Amino acid sequence: MKKFIFVVLASGALAIDGAKGAEPAASPAAPSPAASAAEVEALRQQVQSLTELVQTLQKQVKEQQAASEKNNSNPPALPQNPEPETAAGPSPSPAASAPPLFPTTDNAVVTSAVNANGTLFPTTDASVTTVSSSETGSSLTQPITLTGGGNKNYMNISFDGLFALAASSERHLDRLEVGDHDPQQRGFNARNAEIAIDGAVDPYFEGFANIVLKLDNNNATQIELEEAFLQTTSLPYGLQVKGGQFFDAFGRINPTHPHTWEFADSPLVNGRLLGPDGLRGVGAQIAWTVPVPWYSQVIFAVQNGRGGTAYSFRNPGDGGLFYSRMTIDREASALRDLVFVPRVENSFNLSDTQTVLVGASGAFGSNDTGPNTHTQIYGADLLYKWKSPRAEGGFPFVKWQTEAMYRRFEAGRGLDDAFPVAETFRDWGMYSQVLWGFKKGWVAGVRGDYLHMAPSLFTDDDMRQTRSRISVNLTWYPTEFSKLRLQYNHDFLEENAFLASRDVDSVFFQFEFILGAHGAHKF
Amino acid sequence: MKKILLILSVICASAFAAQAKLNVVATLPDFGSIAKEIGGDKVEVTVLAKPTEDPHFVDARPSFVVQLRTADVLIDGGAELELGWLPPLLQNARNPKIEIGKPGRVQASQGIRLMNVPTNVTRAAGDVHALGNPHFMADPIIAKAVAQHIAQSYSAIDAANAAAYDANYKKLEATINAKLQEWGTALLPFKGQTIVAYHDSWPYFGHRFGLNIDIFLEPKPGIPPSPSHLVEVIAQMKAKNVKAIIVEPYHDRKIAEKAASATGAKVVDFSQFPGGLPGTETYVKLIDKLVASLAAALK
Repeated sequence: MKKFIFVVLASGALAIDGAKGAEPAASPAAPSPAASAAEVEALRQQVQSLTELVQTLQKQVKEQQAASEKNNSNPPALPQNPEPETAAGPSPSPAASAPPLFPTTDNAVVTSAVNANGTLFPTTDASVTTVSSSETGSSLTQPITLTGGGNKNYMNISFDGLFALAASSERHLDRLEVGDHDPQQRGFNARNAEIAIDGAVDPYFEGFANIVLKLDNNNATQIELEEAFLQTTSLPYGLQVKGGQFFDAFGRINPTHPHTWEFADSPLVNGRLLGPDGLRGVGAQIAWTVPVPWYSQVIFAVQNGRGGTAYSFRNPGDGGLFYSRMTIDREASALRDLVFVPRVENSFNLSDTQTVLVGASGAFGSNDTGPNTHTQIYGADLLYKWKSPRAEGGFPFVKWQTEAMYRRFEAGRGLDDAFPVAETFRDWGMYSQVLWGFKKGWVAGVRGDYLHMAPSLFTDDDMRQTRSRISVNLTWYPTEFSKLRLQYNHDFLEENAFLASRDVDSVFFQFEFILGAHGAHKF
Repeated sequence: MKKILLILSVICASAFAAQAKLNVVATLPDFGSIAKEIGGDKVEVTVLAKPTEDPHFVDARPSFVVQLRTADVLIDGGAELELGWLPPLLQNARNPKIEIGKPGRVQASQGIRLMNVPTNVTRAAGDVHALGNPHFMADPIIAKAVAQHIAQSYSAIDAANAAAYDANYKKLEATINAKLQEWGTALLPFKGQTIVAYHDSWPYFGHRFGLNIDIFLEPKPGIPPSPSHLVEVIAQMKAKNVKAIIVEPYHDRKIAEKAASATGAKVVDFSQFPGGLPGTETYVKLIDKLVASLAAALK
């Protein structure tokens, strides 16, 4: 196009020159020798206006080219596409330059300019690419707008509804089940409907919030701000800092939300030692990936450690009672009244298909059963996973997960030393579960639970009962956004000084759906 | 003292030289193969996903965090294929070099016009990718564009070897251009034929070679084949005289065989990834194999 204009322009100029030169002599173009000066002047004006027109056209073309280059962030140094007109066309038909048997380029699919050569089969195709890449790395790194604008992504929002239909030989399911999101009554339960929001705050932070709504046994709605925190995204040296309300990285299950659990209820040891709501609170956390050849991470959190979500710590208890003691609602008077939660985790690949992750956690703080009583919890966890090298949708797999915890709890005499004795409870427990994803979407699971609570001669608190449980379940995930789960629990409630031993059978049918952004799967 | 310093500096320099290889991580083996071709002996390439596994659902193994933590370059699809497992890895890796926006991050789909971009994204339609079909590497012309991006990224980070990367790119480009003639010729007799695939991974391959790969054993993307859908597929196959069913290593081959035996079609083993089938260690060898086995089945 440009060339053509130049040619026109040049020939125009030549014509003018020629006309000038021919003027004195009688040119054959001017049949009448008496061509008046007025006629010549008119011709000149015409030529002049044509020249102007051509110049404006040329200017326009240049502007258009500049604009299109800008749009494509296309540096001028790029190889020119031989047929820009066909390249611009949205039609995916390969641009054929030579008698094309088969194209080797396709501008419809690739936008970066690739040299076209006169091969039989096109080797480029302008219809497949959309943007030209520049020689500098910068164009590679610009955010992609593949869908053509409107790609705003300020936050992801999702809703998760988790329900359970429960049947049990125990009338008071809320006493049998240890987790706050576990089924709490015979019949239908809606114990976890959560709204999760996350997104990039700015180039330095990302934010996350998890708001849980649940229905109590009288169908009244309860709401909890389960998590709301920001964390850094761009600290150097493998560091990450988190601040806000969050679950502590204690073991495997504690930091996760109920909809990711592999069983319909929480393990005994989690519910009784870390608490029915898990160990979480307001605080700050720093995590560091250790620069060693395997995966190794150190995490350290500090939280207030107060209230029901710091169950074994400064927890005023139910109705002011904890392990039958009248609690002192202690204000933090020293650093050690806060809860400190360190964790170390390491992971190794046993083979291409087998992975192991081992972790050790601790939680240290004070408790409310006396003016100077403390709690220490230690935990160890192990995860083994095998996944088929030909996995479809993540199946088949085998996953074995075990957690053990030990708690030293100094139980004081409570408010005004009203309780007869001060004791130190050494409680421990563990669970071990195996999940077998035997077919795409299908998982069978078995779990064993054991909880040993140190005997106390002075309390009949059923929270302090030594007990065990065996669970089996079968889960069907129609997609990763829904699930149906059938679970059977057999509980062995051991006798203590006040309670007789007995067995309980329960069956749960759990169903779940997720709407919106689906968080990626953590290992 | 001076001598010791000299020796120390020599040791340091040699240690530095030994580590001077670019540390490249590719999420998927197709990017990995191209990354190796372009990098040659100047780069060390680690591929996260196995060539035989479903790229939508790869375990976010902690060892991947280690690899990403020390990566100079990360090549990912950028079209949400790895959405289910890459984000938590990157979050844990905390490596600013491979953030989006840095020369160390190659999002392969950049500059590629993705096919089948849904106008209305709903999960009622199954596992639909909002940005369009992410299985674009099956088109060799697109693979060339991705190779060019990778070469540019390498050159931006390791300018000293830019000429080598460019030469490797030119070489790969020439190879693919020449191969395209072979592949195009081999599949030309079957232009316009309909082929059945287990999953919608092959629109780019079909588009390139003039084949309609638009009937799927999955009723909707990611949803396992149901008996009623299979009946429908078999009827369509008979109506369109379909001669081949494409399955990938992680698909249930038995279902494809059932449809094949009902229609007389052949089951053809395909893979999106080099190494997914025997004798396909590189991208070019993979397409060689796909073209050859498909042409054999369609004959």
